[in-house]
Amino acid sequence: MNSPYFAGVDVGSLSTEAMILDTTDEPVSYSIIQTGANSIDAASESFEKALAKSGVSQDQVKSIVATGYGRISIPFADKRVTEISCHALGAYHLFPDTGTVIDIGGQDSKVIRVGDGGKVLDFTMNDKCAAGTGRFLEVMADKLQVSLNEMGPLSLKAGGEVSISSICTVFAESEVVSLVAQNHPKNEVIRGLHRAVVNRVWSMIKSIGVHGAVTMSGGVAKNSGVVGLIEERLGKPIHVHPEPQIIGALGAALLAKKNFLRASP
Amino acid sequence: MTRREYLSKQKEMGRNLIGVFPAYYPKEILWAFNAVPAEIWDPPLEIAGANAHLQPYICSVAKLGLELILQGKGDILDGLLFPHTCDSIQNLASIVYDYLGLNKPCYFFYHPKAPYRNSSRTYYLEQLRSFVSRLEKDMGPLDGGELKHRVEQGHHLAAILREIYDLRSQGDFSASNAEFYRVIRQGEYLHPDDFIPLLEGFLGRSKGGDGKGSAVILSGILANPPEILGLLDDLGVRVANDDLLNCGRRLLMEPGRMEDPFEALTANYFAMPPCTTKDSPLDERVNDLLKKIEKSSTKGVIFYMVKFCEPELFDVPQMVAAVKTAGVATLIIDVDLNQGLSGQLTTRVEAFVEMIS
Repeated sequence: MNSPYFAGVDVGSLSTEAMILDTTDEPVSYSIIQTGANSIDAASESFEKALAKSGVSQDQVKSIVATGYGRISIPFADKRVTEISCHALGAYHLFPDTGTVIDIGGQDSKVIRVGDGGKVLDFTMNDKCAAGTGRFLEVMADKLQVSLNEMGPLSLKAGGEVSISSICTVFAESEVVSLVAQNHPKNEVIRGLHRAVVNRVWSMIKSIGVHGAVTMSGGVAKNSGVVGLIEERLGKPIHVHPEPQIIGALGAALLAKKNFLRASP
Repeated sequence: MTRREYLSKQKEMGRNLIGVFPAYYPKEILWAFNAVPAEIWDPPLEIAGANAHLQPYICSVAKLGLELILQGKGDILDGLLFPHTCDSIQNLASIVYDYLGLNKPCYFFYHPKAPYRNSSRTYYLEQLRSFVSRLEKDMGPLDGGELKHRVEQGHHLAAILREIYDLRSQGDFSASNAEFYRVIRQGEYLHPDDFIPLLEGFLGRSKGGDGKGSAVILSGILANPPEILGLLDDLGVRVANDDLLNCGRRLLMEPGRMEDPFEALTANYFAMPPCTTKDSPLDERVNDLLKKIEKSSTKGVIFYMVKFCEPELFDVPQMVAAVKTAGVATLIIDVDLNQGLSGQLTTRVEAFVEMIS
């Protein structure tokens, strides 16, 4: 019998990730695509892309766990697990000293307290509003006519910082328009926006507390400006994987393996 | 039969219908006047007109109640009763009574708040008598024998509810969460002559159960949207007990056995579990919740908040801390009523269940 493989598919509001793992828990391949309007199509496409990269056939994948907000609609998944459990496990797998995970995704943010083995001990999550999430930064990047990837490096070059009074995406957008009209340097406005994001997540961090090493996951972890401000506030460095978006899918793939082993005699 | 159909039938039978705002009131007195209290917690309405009368930071219990009146959905009612539950309900009473020009009698009931002293009992007794005097003006003289009968009926009803709750907390009651609260909440508008047989039938057919699955306790005002209960059912989680204002907090623990029905009703009021809307001391609330947790081997408490419910929100941080110290997981949910299950709410509940499983 060929070695079995396991997959995790994380369908988020903005991006969808798939991860293929082998029996040694080593990632074989992964893919990241935009979710678009159809989460089932996104899940299928992402999974197929990861399979194509790995050279593993679908038959060899013995267990698939779906996570993310679109988890309920993925027909080929064997099990569905929340992204909170998956991010905790994925972060713990990559950085075993992780005690706290900060996940800022496309439309929500979470702070998770992680225990031994990557188990969730406590968590908090923002409510319905997408303020201070990836979508917030995306809207602001568009308004400032910079790419999302440029925001971090630009803010690090800022000599000062403009205060953004609102974290509401709608109000902050108007505020940014006014600040641009007042000729405030773009990088200082961006740094102010990053500060607003960090202030928002900070209240969640305080409600859970900081335990052990902190790992950041989700797309916003790619923003060096936000990461730097969180580190400054925490007074210590945090773990950031080069591909922080895949942590949920990694956790899901690890659970898929566990699921398979539990079911196998 | 829908709630409205039932209430229409009650009216046809010659009973007065009294719309009652949350939460504590002597329903036995209304029964004795041949009236049916129809409680107003979360009518399924879109809030439109109420926003013109109430500030944005008023809870949706008060807003939906006002909306019911403004939309004319309460036309079937013969009167309204406003217990002094919180500032929002108190202000609502003022808006409805003083400003809306409603052509219906409005009744007010001021129950004492903690800390209780001997004078609190005297005060409560006076409130009962004053409430009766006010009702007599509209409904005729109270039959003392009928009141005694209804007080005894209330005790019988409470005994059945206690048995159901006890079985539930021990895992010996097979009804799903959704079914359990669907039946219990019918007590918010059914006449006791109908509610008691309903509960007896429910008890008879649901006794026994395997007690499997993780157990949680709900704390807060009311479990709305009801889909939350279905979600917990789907996840194999049993709501083993509750500290909800519309359910468990109104469960009479030790009925007053006095000969005088007013004395018995007074004893009843002070024998109910502690509650934020009665200003109960925090340690009493914590002890009550910890006892419930211990009795039902609960792994988690879901604090199910109605947004902007001030009395409830004041206690939550200390309640959460006490429950966590006892080694039990907590989840705080903050919702507007009748908003359905959002993806984020579902994720929070599912993640909580994964955490305690």
